[in-house]
Amino acid sequence: MALVTLSNVAMLYHDPTGSGGRDYSVFEGINFGLQRGERVGVIGRNGAGKSTLLRIMAKIFAPYLGEVVWAPGITVSLLSLGLGFRPDLTGRENAQLACLLQGLSRRDATAALGPIEAFCEIGDFFDAPVRTYSTGMRARLGFATALATRSDVILIDETFGVGDAVFKEKAEQALRGQMTEDRGIVIVSHAPVQIETLCSRAVWLAEGGIQAEGDPVEVLAQYNGTA
Amino acid sequence: MQANQYITLMDTLARFRLRAEARRFGLGYLWWILEPLLYVGVFYLVFVLFLGNREPGFLFFLAVGKLTFIWFSKTINQAALSLVNSREIMAQTNLPKHLFPVAVIHEGLYRQAAVFVFLLSFLWLAGFPPDFAWLWLIPVIFTQYVLIVGCSLLAAVLVCLQRDFQMLIQLGTVFLLFMSGIFWDIHSISNPEVIFWLESMNPLVVLLDAYRQILLWGRAPDMAQLLSINVQATVLLSFMAWLYAKLNFWLAERAITQ
Repeated sequence: MALVTLSNVAMLYHDPTGSGGRDYSVFEGINFGLQRGERVGVIGRNGAGKSTLLRIMAKIFAPYLGEVVWAPGITVSLLSLGLGFRPDLTGRENAQLACLLQGLSRRDATAALGPIEAFCEIGDFFDAPVRTYSTGMRARLGFATALATRSDVILIDETFGVGDAVFKEKAEQALRGQMTEDRGIVIVSHAPVQIETLCSRAVWLAEGGIQAEGDPVEVLAQYNGTA
Repeated sequence: MQANQYITLMDTLARFRLRAEARRFGLGYLWWILEPLLYVGVFYLVFVLFLGNREPGFLFFLAVGKLTFIWFSKTINQAALSLVNSREIMAQTNLPKHLFPVAVIHEGLYRQAAVFVFLLSFLWLAGFPPDFAWLWLIPVIFTQYVLIVGCSLLAAVLVCLQRDFQMLIQLGTVFLLFMSGIFWDIHSISNPEVIFWLESMNPLVVLLDAYRQILLWGRAPDMAQLLSINVQATVLLSFMAWLYAKLNFWLAERAITQ
């Protein structure tokens, strides 16, 4: 059984101004399945609905139409860099909170702090408020915290876009370590190289639906052909 | 989500928020006591020194009223913003949405625990020693807690629905400041119809009077009135729990996309 199956899923956002304006459709008729051991890359222009698709798979949004089925008992994590970090809390406190939010117990969250601190390589800043961090330091903390997840399905929303070349390489290697046969991973990225090297399948979202799906190299060629 | 996981998250969110708040100010945790104390000081200045109130023991009357009222007003105003301020966490994790206002409520509860310790110590030093009547504080505090939970959950949904409610809630707590008997004694009103109306419309009138009955006059509060408030607050709380479950996805979409 697939880890997550989307059947004829449509998503509609209500008027964001709250002034009674028109609702707008993000996509419709999406059919998509994520199998164990699969790594799917999602590409598309801004506003194509990539993040919305991840949020539906992460049970944050309910689809407007269609059905989403999760395999019984699985856990799903949506990882977005540094999202929800509280500037007045230290890196350690933010990391602990993020682990708890991902479903870890208090004991496991505390145990995860050592590896997170080691991965970050930000020294004493780990115990300084996050508001004093540079963008790169936030990225390191965000990625290290995200790696603490033990979920069956990992949804990654443009996590590699920041940080220096050395850190990107380190992050990519760490992500490969997370790619086990019993897990399903979906990566949203604007970096074609990452989709090619990390993913076994690619999905191109555009014009309210899936435009192409299959081998990453072929899908990326079609996507780039229209860009 | 399992109950122990919910409690751990709620407690951590509340404690970390308090820690972050303390870091922002030079006097840190001292503001837990200083803020309500300064309110009492300002009201004392206005009512006793400027307006010439000569009632004996007015300072204690004022302190008990204000230091218990502030628990309600501060928590409601902070909880009202709890959903819209948690949009980033909501965009990442599917959690029961009531977790966010409940964490803010417990932040207020932890702060109020320090205020209660200060208030009781202050009264003791001022000649109101501990008494068996103080045990009546348990049902009164519990009743106020249930009322705060019900009202906070409602306030958070309203602000998530339409941000303008934030202004109305702020105005509402200022209105309650004057209507809850912080500066005046409900027993000084001669018209029983007015008393009945005030007590029926505003549960804080009953609660503040109950605190004073116990702490200043060593008497048991009116348990029938407390029970009535408890029942009403529990009905509100139950309805809100149902509403939060019903609106779980809608609240996330509203908070994230608004």
